[in-house]
Amino acid sequence: MILYEHEAKRLFKEQGISIPQGGVAKSPSEAAEIARKMGKPVIIKAQVLALPGVEAGDAQTAGSPEEAGRIAEGLLRKSYHGQQVSELLVEEVLPVQKEIYVAIRVDGAAGTPLVMASLEGFSDLDEEAQASAKLATVHADPFHGLKSHEARKMAKALGFTGDAAVKLADQIQRLFKTYAGWNALNAGFNPLVMTPEGNFSASGAFLELDDSALFRFPQFRELSLSRILDPLAREGKTIGVTYVGLEGDIGIICTGAGIGMATVDLISKRSRPANFLETGGGITEKQLADVMRLVLKKPGLKGVFLNMYGGINPIHEGAKGVVKVIREDKVKIPVVAKAIGNFQEETWKVLEDGGVTVIRTIPTDQAVEELFKRLGK
Amino acid sequence: MSILIDEKTRVLVQGITGRMGAVQTMHMLKAGTKITAGVTPGRGGARVEGVPVYDSVGEAMAEQEINTSVLFVPAAVAEESCVEAVDAGLKLIILITEHIPTHDTMRIRAYVRNHGATLIGPTTPGVITPGKCKIGIMPAILFTPGPVGIISRSGTMSYEIAGLLSTEGIGQTTVVGMGGDPVVGTSLVELLELFQKDPATRVVVVHGEIGGTQEEKAAAFIRQKKMTKPVIAYMTGKVAPEGSRMGHAGAVFIGKRGAMDNKIKAYQEAGVPIADSPGEIARLVRKDLKA
Repeated sequence: MILYEHEAKRLFKEQGISIPQGGVAKSPSEAAEIARKMGKPVIIKAQVLALPGVEAGDAQTAGSPEEAGRIAEGLLRKSYHGQQVSELLVEEVLPVQKEIYVAIRVDGAAGTPLVMASLEGFSDLDEEAQASAKLATVHADPFHGLKSHEARKMAKALGFTGDAAVKLADQIQRLFKTYAGWNALNAGFNPLVMTPEGNFSASGAFLELDDSALFRFPQFRELSLSRILDPLAREGKTIGVTYVGLEGDIGIICTGAGIGMATVDLISKRSRPANFLETGGGITEKQLADVMRLVLKKPGLKGVFLNMYGGINPIHEGAKGVVKVIREDKVKIPVVAKAIGNFQEETWKVLEDGGVTVIRTIPTDQAVEELFKRLGK
Repeated sequence: MSILIDEKTRVLVQGITGRMGAVQTMHMLKAGTKITAGVTPGRGGARVEGVPVYDSVGEAMAEQEINTSVLFVPAAVAEESCVEAVDAGLKLIILITEHIPTHDTMRIRAYVRNHGATLIGPTTPGVITPGKCKIGIMPAILFTPGPVGIISRSGTMSYEIAGLLSTEGIGQTTVVGMGGDPVVGTSLVELLELFQKDPATRVVVVHGEIGGTQEEKAAAFIRQKKMTKPVIAYMTGKVAPEGSRMGHAGAVFIGKRGAMDNKIKAYQEAGVPIADSPGEIARLVRKDLKA
């Protein structure tokens, strides 16, 4: 779950990180009011759920409350990645002596958090740029976190000395504490600004929480559902499955992520999948009925393809849910299913009795061919 | 021969009295796995499918012969359960549990490895050496003994690959689910190393996905001639939209990071043939077995 920048900054502040003075506006008049209260030039940032590297919302500076209102009006009409901007962060403009970019993410191969800092921006923080001399990196210990001597070494590597190095190291360590404390996947300063007086402030911030850790943070667990922008994906989440909307017209239901991706890949060779959907383990008759109805909601669907493995999943139970929906909702488009594993014979019988074309061979490519035949492709 | 598990493996099931633990214990016993004990705190003295249940791993180890643990525990207690298994001296831990917080997994991985033990998973279907030992949730009917090793980032893809090879009369030494999370206990390179050393394995099939750098590192390992047996790759997630997690927490790419192109290029440069479809995997394996 990616947080809005203003939410990330609130959590940063709780950890003792300095952030610019400012507030959140939902209308031009609110933006003008915040600017008036501050009595100085402001920067207005469109709030979008995105990590660095993906196009984020625009930011513009305003010299007066009136200008702030006008800029806010423009930004609130914009959308990025299909996200309509509804909130703006209005902040003081900081005088800049230096900008420091810091990112913390999970290094899967090392199995540890990776802390990276650079003076050059985030294009520098890619895998390939890791050898760059301008980049300071530390693999943090999963138990002890980023140690203060490691943070100080990073600050020195970036060319900071004396008091500035100590202050910068402190801010980086506080960022790490935020990252670890909230069980985050990604956290960063984008950038951290050093002012001519030698103070540091997180002028840009990002934080992505781990969906698997949200059971520890009930306040975000509730919020996370509303952050899924696609209504069908949101409904999938409430049913307990992963739904990713795609552009096409073949509905897909799979009982695992790997087979789901393979199915989407294979159908894409000659046609266009409407979605990726994987149930994970523990399906029931009711869940598959809900899943079937979810997939069928996409307008203009030409067919539905099911790819099911009975390992952890009782697919014979799931099959009952599928045929129930075909019968009750009078589904007329072709439904083709491949079902293999424990209870496969029972599953085949339930599906065939319910009007589903059943493929009994294992390779998904052959099953997809059968689907194309049924669709006249 | 095989890797990780064989007929000498004696299994402890942590979380044996849970819904999933109990059902999967039944399936594993049916497949011939030697399960000697189970653990659920507070349920000591009970039996599941005839298997004695203990309150702790230590108590189970004191009374039964055990060398491997498989965990079906809730995500919130996965870390403490793995630590308990390691502290009791177990050297192979197979963590089936899904949706474990990544920060917990990083600590689990480090703890297990620091104690000289091996962790498979999390979010893994488990490991099967067909005909000898099945530890995990895979449907045993799809697997047959033979000369091919399989490593997969997905449960269902490992079933598909093993199943289609089996129907063509090509069996498997061992099939390992690496796990679909961003952090897993044992890397693709480490598993290739085990198959390289296993005399019975003649060909290895690796299923990869978008996300992470496992495939790139495996390709480098193969280029350095540290893996000399034929490797065949199959990749999924080719048409995934940027930034979407495709069911596995680890199956996501942002910009170049974790993108499919890097992985395909790395395998191509290492001379690893990439199957275009599951059906093609069998053809490529057959070619290598004849060579």
